[in-house]
Amino acid sequence: MRFSFRELPDPASDMVRARPIVDVVVEGLEIAPQACLLDSGATAVRLGSHVAELCGVDLSEAPEKRLAVGGGLVRARMAEVSLLVNDGSESYAWTTPVWFCDPWVPSFGLLGLTGFFDHFVVTIASYEEWIELTPVG
Amino acid sequence: MAEKTVVRQVTIAGRPFVLRSDEVVRALREIDPEPITRHFVVVGTRRFPPKQVVGEVTGLDRADFTTHQARRTLIRLGFSAGRRAAATSNPRSTVVPGPGMVADPLALRLRDFIGKWVAIKDDDVIHASDSPYELVGWLGRHGQKADSMLRVPDDELSATGLAPL
Repeated sequence: MRFSFRELPDPASDMVRARPIVDVVVEGLEIAPQACLLDSGATAVRLGSHVAELCGVDLSEAPEKRLAVGGGLVRARMAEVSLLVNDGSESYAWTTPVWFCDPWVPSFGLLGLTGFFDHFVVTIASYEEWIELTPVG
Repeated sequence: MAEKTVVRQVTIAGRPFVLRSDEVVRALREIDPEPITRHFVVVGTRRFPPKQVVGEVTGLDRADFTTHQARRTLIRLGFSAGRRAAATSNPRSTVVPGPGMVADPLALRLRDFIGKWVAIKDDDVIHASDSPYELVGWLGRHGQKADSMLRVPDDELSATGLAPL
């Protein structure tokens, strides 16, 4: 599956910034796929806790930990959810632990090592601004 | 958005009206934009179907006038109008603009929505809200399905997504 980088306005200038962002369908929230940044520096898949609420995931008994994000602490709770990516001609679905964080400052979800990079061989062609995902196995 | 007040005498469906751009903005402030099928006008930072706007400010039945009449009326009042890109195999394609039309790339158009949650479909912003709950609620109420949902970054932290290790 191949995806073009997503261009977003740069809040610090008049320029736009192209980023390796793909849209991920979270089961239960099919009407609003979540823009997510490929982030090999993150250890796991992380989304805002609003996503769990919107797709009906109950986090009341979920495993919980505190994470430092951008100098502040966030509450992160984990649930197994089904995710799907689709490039218009192919799609791939998988189930994985996702950490739902509150508060959540980033504009998009983060796709980290466990739960995303361990499901795909990932090619990021930054110069040409595209991403290729090949499911593992 | 119309920057200064423009006043126009217009005739729609055989009835005369005096429309003011500032009154249009005020009338639409609390109105939920309906889904855009093809044409839109920009009121404030939001996009509305032209017929919805003219219907709201004149009280006319929408069956009594055309999209073209509504669009022309609103352009004369100083509002920007545009047309949604048709769905194509190339999501980066854009429509060639006509007079008074908006044809910026999506990333530049997103500047109008900094800090807002946006739903994107066919390379176009179909709705923007202050919260993800409002946005998904709007999609559900109007039977819409977005291609993507995100909050347009308003600072460096939100733009970089600094990840915890």
